[in-house]
Amino acid sequence: MQNYIIKRIWSALVVIFVVSFITYFVLMLIPGDAAQLILGTDASPDKLAELRNAMGLDRPWIVQYLEWLGGLLRLDFGKSYLYSTSVLGLIIDRLPVTASVAVLSILIAMVVSILLGTVSAIKRNTAIDYFSRSVMQIGSAIPTFWIGMLFIIFFGLKLKWFPISDYSPLSDGLFVHLRSLAMPCTVLAIGETGMMLRSIRTSMIDTLDQDYMDMARVKGLKNKTIYFKYAIRSAMIAPINVIGMQFAKLMGGTVVVESVFSLPGLGRLLLIAVEQRDVVLLQGIVMFITAVVVFTSLVVDLIVMLLNPKIRIRTRGE
Amino acid sequence: MKKSMNKSRKKWNVSLAIGTVLILAVVIVCIVSFIYMPHDPIEMNTTLNFLRPGANESYILGTDNFGRDILSRIMMGSRTVLLVGVVSTAFGAVIGIILGGFAAMSKNIVSSIIMRFVDGMMAFPGILLAMMLVLVVGRGEKGSIVAIAMFIVPTFARLVYSMVLDTESMLFVKAAKSYGITKRRLFKKHYIPLMATRLITQFSSSIAHAIMVETSLSFLGLGIQAPNASWGLMLNESRKYFLTYPYLAVAPGIAIVFTVLGFNLFGDGLNELLENGKGGKR
Repeated sequence: MQNYIIKRIWSALVVIFVVSFITYFVLMLIPGDAAQLILGTDASPDKLAELRNAMGLDRPWIVQYLEWLGGLLRLDFGKSYLYSTSVLGLIIDRLPVTASVAVLSILIAMVVSILLGTVSAIKRNTAIDYFSRSVMQIGSAIPTFWIGMLFIIFFGLKLKWFPISDYSPLSDGLFVHLRSLAMPCTVLAIGETGMMLRSIRTSMIDTLDQDYMDMARVKGLKNKTIYFKYAIRSAMIAPINVIGMQFAKLMGGTVVVESVFSLPGLGRLLLIAVEQRDVVLLQGIVMFITAVVVFTSLVVDLIVMLLNPKIRIRTRGE
Repeated sequence: MKKSMNKSRKKWNVSLAIGTVLILAVVIVCIVSFIYMPHDPIEMNTTLNFLRPGANESYILGTDNFGRDILSRIMMGSRTVLLVGVVSTAFGAVIGIILGGFAAMSKNIVSSIIMRFVDGMMAFPGILLAMMLVLVVGRGEKGSIVAIAMFIVPTFARLVYSMVLDTESMLFVKAAKSYGITKRRLFKKHYIPLMATRLITQFSSSIAHAIMVETSLSFLGLGIQAPNASWGLMLNESRKYFLTYPYLAVAPGIAIVFTVLGFNLFGDGLNELLENGKGGKR
């Protein structure tokens, strides 16, 4: 088991390293460098060379990359040209919004998909099952930005239940905060529910088809006991992995949702960085988000390992 | 799982049927758009802007802020969706299959570097990698295709890698190897046909993914650029006006949902059909 944990942590670190490599080199390919960006396209070659020299852009790329990587390890993400402040500071400023959105929407998606998934697995091939499977298909086919616009029209404009693109931080009070996030989070959750529901349904069905379920029935246990004491517990293990994966998708999805609902989060900052070609800022945000995602999936994997007696025992036996 | 699948197969493969119909509908719209469109989708006519659907008989779905016919733009957008969706998936699939196949067949330092690279590509959440690539390649159709292809690559690379490793111990592979078959031939003649069903299914779902990414990029203003039409771009253009004219946001969204749903259902239905035909999973 220890070996497994070490291996898993090692592979997460390797992935982070590869990600940093890809991020750095993809963005190095962008036509026009930082010096050009600061001085504009009609700057004289002399001035460009001077600034490049001052910024260290004329050194070999490997040196620049290693320096940047070393900075990351010391949590120094560099300085944004656009805001002329530290990238990490900008990220930390906007992190609470994105974190709230991510956590809330994953909670909504989890509740909905566990409920619907379990029910539709138990009542297989009934109206409820077909309903929840349709929800799952359509949910994963609807683009978040579109359902977001529809929500704004319907719940914001017609019914006036929720504010349209008016973000209130937690310091304004919990209720106001949640109210301002209700629409974006529900919208994101709709996209997440599809995959989660599918995996919970499948894993629940697999569990219900196991011999020990028949055994429990033969023993005369009540359905309620079987479902809630045995089935759900073992059926939840596989979907936890999916929930970890969905978290990754969600961090990517916030870009679109924050743009639709004008939330001042990381996704908005990322879009601004792309639009303004602020490469240092872009590198910083991409690295930050990806690292969060990789470590989340690492933690999820370790949790699954602790929960799943099969893996625990198998690795112990090795 | 097996019980329910067999039952539904004997009855009627609903997913495949609906998926086929939806895909055919988009393809037909696309073909028709080359022959006939009710209006010029690019020409602006500001005297006729913001016509609500039904306000003018010749503009069935109304007009947008520039007075362009929404139906014609939807029809023009179907070309973009199919072109970018299919071409980028095809590119991504070919690169992914080659990378995954190569890595699985030659077990050395190169193959593990390739797979770590693929892991890294996969670790970027959602459209982050695509957004970065758009900056490099440039916005527009070409940029979208390259960016989305790179988004698709890791899925196929991993799928092929794991499938090749799974089949390696099979008897016929050992037999073929004992005849001294070259690795390339083994891959082309034996592995590819064996993996074909899974690859085709994955291809269909990946097109759905690719379309989602394309519309998202276009919605963020990083994909297809005006005056070219994309459904995501249409929604982006309507953002300034949709609070006053909600109808602007309806048609492009429905078009996206139907198309994505079509490819998803087609993939699922095909999977059900082929996997059952072979007798159970795997």
